[in-house]
Amino acid sequence: MNKKKKRNLPMISGILMISFFLFIAVFAEQIAPYDPTDMMQGYLPPSKEHILGTNDVGQDIFSEMIYGTRVSLYIGIFAAFVVTGIGTVMAMISGYFGGIADKVITAVTNIAMAVPSLPLTVLLVAYLKPGKASLIIAISITAWTGTARILRSRVQQLCEMPFIKIEKTMGVHPFVILWKHLLPNMKDIIFTRGALAVSSAMMTESSLSFLGLGTYGEKSWGNVLHYAFFRNSIMKQQVWWYIPPIICISIAVLGFMLIGYYGQQKKEE
Amino acid sequence: MHKQIWKKIGIAFLTIYIIITISFILVHVMPGDPIIHLVGQEEYYYLLDNDPETLNKMIEKYGLDDSLSAQYFKYLKSIVTFDFGISYTNQMPVLGNVMRACSWTLLLSVPTWILSGIFGAVLGVIAGWKPGKLFDKIMTPIFLVLNTIPSNCLCLLMLILFAYNLKWFPINGMVSPGKIGLERTLSILHHMWLPIIIMVIFRTASDFMLMKSAVSQIRKEEYILTATSKGIPEKKVLFRHVMRNAMLPYMTSFCMQMGGLLSGSMVVEVVFGWKGMGMLMYNAVQNRDFPTAQLCFLISAFCVVISNLISDMINIWIDPRLKEDTANE
Repeated sequence: MNKKKKRNLPMISGILMISFFLFIAVFAEQIAPYDPTDMMQGYLPPSKEHILGTNDVGQDIFSEMIYGTRVSLYIGIFAAFVVTGIGTVMAMISGYFGGIADKVITAVTNIAMAVPSLPLTVLLVAYLKPGKASLIIAISITAWTGTARILRSRVQQLCEMPFIKIEKTMGVHPFVILWKHLLPNMKDIIFTRGALAVSSAMMTESSLSFLGLGTYGEKSWGNVLHYAFFRNSIMKQQVWWYIPPIICISIAVLGFMLIGYYGQQKKEE
Repeated sequence: MHKQIWKKIGIAFLTIYIIITISFILVHVMPGDPIIHLVGQEEYYYLLDNDPETLNKMIEKYGLDDSLSAQYFKYLKSIVTFDFGISYTNQMPVLGNVMRACSWTLLLSVPTWILSGIFGAVLGVIAGWKPGKLFDKIMTPIFLVLNTIPSNCLCLLMLILFAYNLKWFPINGMVSPGKIGLERTLSILHHMWLPIIIMVIFRTASDFMLMKSAVSQIRKEEYILTATSKGIPEKKVLFRHVMRNAMLPYMTSFCMQMGGLLSGSMVVEVVFGWKGMGMLMYNAVQNRDFPTAQLCFLISAFCVVISNLISDMINIWIDPRLKEDTANE
């Protein structure tokens, strides 16, 4: 009992971190004291009215951070859904059917793995219209390969199990086998891969936004950090401007990582 | 064995060809007129309103009124002849710009690659050989957390701490102005410190994890138990049996990291104002200088493919099991 509790501690703390941010993201309007696009006096230090001061154009940084939670989590989770979805479908097709489908999908995976991800993402963001959707496309286009590889070997393992073999001989429709019998058996591993995908998507998003290639209009945490860095907040010692986004990004990424990493470990034992 | 190697080389070339094609498709199939991608949005609308003649000339110059297949062959030809066009920003050949940037990036990334390869291996072996001991208990969480912090965040934190507050290292740039000869070299070395330390920390974290898991897995193998029960001293078991086997996956990943030498340091370069590949590509994208951005992408991809090929070959060469497998084929 005691041992089990101890092992799950990292996962529970991860879940707590994420629920905290999810809560903020859902109730952003109620929590934020100001509209993050309202412009007031610029470069104010923290005070009672502005907990974290204001930025270069006089927007309340605290409100920016609250709304940024929404943007960052939205992009991270949505991209992870796309990544895990593509990875799962690819893995199931190539693992279950084998033959030519397997060869083609493996080749595509290998090529996608050979493409350096950050340069391609930067290039895509530059070509596409700036916005959330193109950011999600750019993040997910190379990120699905790892998931596909791991899930493919899992599918192949499951296909060797008696119950799948029996169903195959009975002539059950492949779609039914895949949907009803393979997918439920992989839900743990899909879940942990999904959590890891969120954390890596959020990392990529923060890098892109930090480079100024993220969303326009709505600011994510990375965007706040971008403006903080390129408006010389470090030189001006405006700690309240550059530290909050760093802390938020790191904790959110860590939270998803803990869920993914320790969820996996629990399954293995 | 030869057959295997030739096959790998063939696949590598095919991959490069496909990547080249992808970068062509990116320009021509993306929504919007390709000329917008080539001259930039503002410039395009400005020319469209004021000077349609120049715009037509440009379309002709880039051959955009040809059929797609003709353009494709023209594009392939330009790549084979290393003619990548002129950069929009400084009107110099793109290739020269990129090559200059490459050498600056390699100055950062090669020492990082080697140092973190050594640190990761040594620390990983110590932690994996005695799992659950004090060293493992301290190092593993530290590296796990380092692995999760996004690179831009750690970069800024280190920059604030060491460059602004402690003033140990210069804040920005690659070399102090007005230095020549030996002084210039020393100045570059002084500027290199902080970016390299940050990159080494990141890379060591992932190398450490890999080595630790490899060693702790091999520790459980039966031949290790046999060796220990024969009374072979612990050190000999570690170096002869454990290290040799753990080096295999480690070497593979070490070689594959070579692919990231050019493209892996974009964020660090932007933060430190280091005029390498990452910075060049970042500026190119910001200024809509697409020939440069495209060449940066192509070269990084080329580098990854080649290093994967090298790691495959080294694997065949050092792993006797693989050699036997391929000989039997």
